[in-house]
Amino acid sequence: MSEPIKTTKTALIVHADMSVLSAFQSSFVSKGYVAILARDLPTALLALTQHFFDVAVISSRLAEGGDGWPLAGVVHLIFPKAFVGVLTPETNVLTLQAAINNGVTQIFDASSNPDHVVNASLTGQQAGPSKTSSEPGTSIH
Amino acid sequence: MARQPSLLIVDDETNVALTLQMVFERDGYAVRTANSCASALKLLQNGHQFDAVITDLNMEKENIGLEVARAALQLHPKPAVVLCTGYASVDNSAAALQMKVDYLATKPVDLDELKRAVRRLMAFRE
Repeated sequence: MSEPIKTTKTALIVHADMSVLSAFQSSFVSKGYVAILARDLPTALLALTQHFFDVAVISSRLAEGGDGWPLAGVVHLIFPKAFVGVLTPETNVLTLQAAINNGVTQIFDASSNPDHVVNASLTGQQAGPSKTSSEPGTSIH
Repeated sequence: MARQPSLLIVDDETNVALTLQMVFERDGYAVRTANSCASALKLLQNGHQFDAVITDLNMEKENIGLEVARAALQLHPKPAVVLCTGYASVDNSAAALQMKVDYLATKPVDLDELKRAVRRLMAFRE
């Protein structure tokens, strides 16, 4: 008899601050998600080649001067059904324009409570089949 | 032979609509224009199908381009929807993000950027 297909979903979290990554990791894992963490752009891009993501939460400012907006755009292009949230220090016309033009689903204040962001991400995520098959957990790249 | 991509351009400034029409027709698009939200809604609700819709934001009323965008986004298949405005604000941009507008271009529009955006959106749309 074949193994049942597991349908665990996977979240990508990209932020320069390890303590913020850790808080998001806890929140996503508590919801049954696999959490893939990245601090910088190269690591996040590598993760995109290795996992199927249902949700991504990305800081607009990444380690080593990285820009989170184009990364969000790449995530949207590769995983068009994924919820893509961006954490930004301020909401203005330019950040909203960057969000629209990069296919971002929702923007959040950078200081938002991770549980709030995760709940909003999961609520806003479009329904769709997941290709993932691993147990809930965390990978740190 | 490949189907000619179709485009609806909505702007109450006739010169702007005609200029965009000329630019996109030169790139091989079949272009319809509308000079008001009301005319655009008639086209969208009368079974015309477009691969992309480019609409001004302020026409008969402030932010009425959002109505064009909303109507276009409800179509199946959904066209790529681009808002063009010189009057972007936090409120109207947030509304555009929430309704999942595909692209927000600010006037004066960079035509090369706009053409690239439309081409990319049409390539990736559902």
